[in-house]
Amino acid sequence: MEKITLGTRNVSIEFPGVKALTDVNFEVSTGVIHALMGANGAGKSTLMKVLAGSNPGYTGEVLYNGQKVELRHPMDAKKLGIQIVYQEVDMALVPNLTVAENVMFNDTVMNMKGKLFMNYAKLRKSAREVLKQLNVNIDVRQICGKLSLAQKQMVLIARAIQNECNFLILDEPTAPLSDTETEELFRVVNHLRETKNMAIIFITHRIHEVIRICDSYTVMRNGMIVDTTPITASTTSKEIVDKMLGRSIEENFPKEICEIGEKAFEVIDLTEKEGKVKNINMHVRKGEIVGLAGLVGGGKTELCKTLFGAFRKSSGRIIMNGKELKIKNPSDAVKNRMALVPEERRKEGVLVAETVTFNMAAASLDKYCHLTFVNGVLTAKNAKKYVDELQIKTPSIRQKVAFLSGGNQQKVAVGKWLAADSDIYIFDEPTKGVDVGAKQEIFRLINQIAKEGNCVIYATCENSELLSITDRMYVMFDGRITAELVTKDTNETEIMRYSTGEVQAAFQ
Amino acid sequence: MDSTKKISAGKFIVNWAAVAVLILSIIFFAVMKGAAFFSWTNAINILRSMSTVTIFALAATVSMAPDGFDMAAGTLGTFCAYVFASFFLWFAMPLWLCIVLTVVFAMVMYLITMFLILVCKVPDMLATCALQFVHQGLGLAYTGGSAISAGMTPASWAVGLNGGVTSPARSGWIYENGSGGTVDARDIGKSPWIIIIMIICVVICYLLLERTKYGRYLYAMGGNKTAAKLSGINVKKMRFMAGMFAALFIAVGGIVVCSRNSAAQINGSDSYLMSSLAAVFIGRSIGGREKYNAIGTTIGALLITVLENGMTMCGVVYYILPAVKGAVLCLALVAAYATSKED
Repeated sequence: MEKITLGTRNVSIEFPGVKALTDVNFEVSTGVIHALMGANGAGKSTLMKVLAGSNPGYTGEVLYNGQKVELRHPMDAKKLGIQIVYQEVDMALVPNLTVAENVMFNDTVMNMKGKLFMNYAKLRKSAREVLKQLNVNIDVRQICGKLSLAQKQMVLIARAIQNECNFLILDEPTAPLSDTETEELFRVVNHLRETKNMAIIFITHRIHEVIRICDSYTVMRNGMIVDTTPITASTTSKEIVDKMLGRSIEENFPKEICEIGEKAFEVIDLTEKEGKVKNINMHVRKGEIVGLAGLVGGGKTELCKTLFGAFRKSSGRIIMNGKELKIKNPSDAVKNRMALVPEERRKEGVLVAETVTFNMAAASLDKYCHLTFVNGVLTAKNAKKYVDELQIKTPSIRQKVAFLSGGNQQKVAVGKWLAADSDIYIFDEPTKGVDVGAKQEIFRLINQIAKEGNCVIYATCENSELLSITDRMYVMFDGRITAELVTKDTNETEIMRYSTGEVQAAFQ
Repeated sequence: MDSTKKISAGKFIVNWAAVAVLILSIIFFAVMKGAAFFSWTNAINILRSMSTVTIFALAATVSMAPDGFDMAAGTLGTFCAYVFASFFLWFAMPLWLCIVLTVVFAMVMYLITMFLILVCKVPDMLATCALQFVHQGLGLAYTGGSAISAGMTPASWAVGLNGGVTSPARSGWIYENGSGGTVDARDIGKSPWIIIIMIICVVICYLLLERTKYGRYLYAMGGNKTAAKLSGINVKKMRFMAGMFAALFIAVGGIVVCSRNSAAQINGSDSYLMSSLAAVFIGRSIGGREKYNAIGTTIGALLITVLENGMTMCGVVYYILPAVKGAVLCLALVAAYATSKED
């Protein structure tokens, strides 16, 4: 069969303030399963979006079979047979339509000019044929919203190959899948390569999967390509991890030594109701900063939310100062003096439509009330205090939070909990999307919190941050804790090895 | 900074459009009709006729502040009127007891609404749509299929309860209290009482939403439920509390409508639902609040009533008035949404 190649030459992309891709030269050809790897923020998704036509602002050239092509719109890519399945399957599916309608969605939208009535029999027949090509068994009459995640993914893959498809890009397809579902996906992918001579580009974090099913891999780091090599019998996961990390860029944040007291917070055998986190055993001492390491999808956020009662637990105990806590919802958690600074700041952390004053008082209103009546003077005083203390840049405490910068919004989210005077602070990716200066201030703040004898849990996928700020850390993979590491005795390579599931330490 | 100033100038007009329309229409009607419109008597008239709409609109305001909704407020108000009238006329209870029991009744009925929304997780709009029919049906079952007014025979179950006496326990809306004076239940629907009741309701709603911590919680929920929940707010409890306040206002609304009409009429309060929603939406963006709030709602109700009153005076036939109300609501909604950024 003839081979088609797709590649980039010196492709760069700049977002305001960040260089997302720098002179990337990348190539795949049909008939190959190719893995694209790299730590978070390495530029994998950005590069794939260029190939899919949804990053029109690139400079450099995209080459299709050696010929220069312009991919400035998703339609351009689709015309060339480049199809992408994004990680968030629910964004692309229409949940209240049937499987058949979803599979044939593009067809319905694009090829219905001049036609008025749907031919459902034909639609279902075509959809069935496409699914047959994938060799999967899904009833085409079923409503998409009722499918499992893995099945939804299959529907999207079916939609992709229903059109002309030479290059199929799968953005982290296996992250949310169980082992059997992953196997099924691999079978489908292999089947596609063999029967249709497609190129499949996999973005993934899971190294052992790559070695098992891929023919070659590319590693990216900081928006650049580190290496592209075929996978042979001698390829080891260690060499891939090393390439992903390169030399570590030091954050250079001086860790302040806090006095670590007795064990104050303990979690015993905690399992979330839907199995998002399983068999968690951990503890935090007073004045200790404990990290949660792991890649995106490893279960850090889920663990934070389960501890805080935002997700239901099915079993396990949470003990604070020797007393077992009954936490059924976040309201209970706050009553027990817990605080969560969530990952999605704008969606979950602050109320963007409200003022700084309002936000600062949101978690501790009782303190500023006389007989349930809010005392405006006290809330303003509180807001002023923390605006000064955290050096939040805002024209006034009456400013709506929506108008503050990301770093300052984050500080408001933290300040809210400082005002609530909690004992346990859980930070979930607190430095996401904030600049270096604000990052340092947030670190200083977290250190300060620990110094006052509070417990801190710090979840992030930035391993360098964990190395610079924590005392100890738990590494998570697939919703479980795979390792407990003491920060001063570990390094990025070791963390990465546990968080990619390469090493499954017998940890209990 | 220049550009933000320009935006605020444009915003300013939008924010105060409803108030501007209100003032302009008052000036317009004053010029057209002179003292007939612009007089103390007519002001009282307007306040009296806006009262019922305002009270129902306050119920909608507290429901909507935490991003809830109640389509069944009108029908529950009607049901409350039946209950109030029956307690008063059929069982001759003292007025205060009738009022208290009606409020309790509304809250008990509202438990069904809250059960559907909070326990069964039915979306507010759908749950209350369904409950409209339940209220209507049960209400008429309660009255025996007819309105309740003075001198009419009670429903058969009430006759049975009264030991087979077919005449109502009280023949009219007036009774003598123990100390020689008389109590007239119809006074509730006349000025000054109706206006005082409205003002008390507005003040209660204002204090709840603007001054107490619960108001903060409710607005936080309306702004972003997830963030509110993760701040430790017990969102279900707060929604329940908002529902109970809505029930209180609905009960008061039902009673006021009943005494204004001197009877608990079939579907008596149903029509207030849409007017009240119009008032709430008009009030939402007044002053750039972008929140459902008590004062805005009151101004919204005032605007609708002034237009109705003035136009009726100018000889506009009554059956066109809803179209005017609708047009004002459209304008308010356009002001609120057409300027919002698309994302």
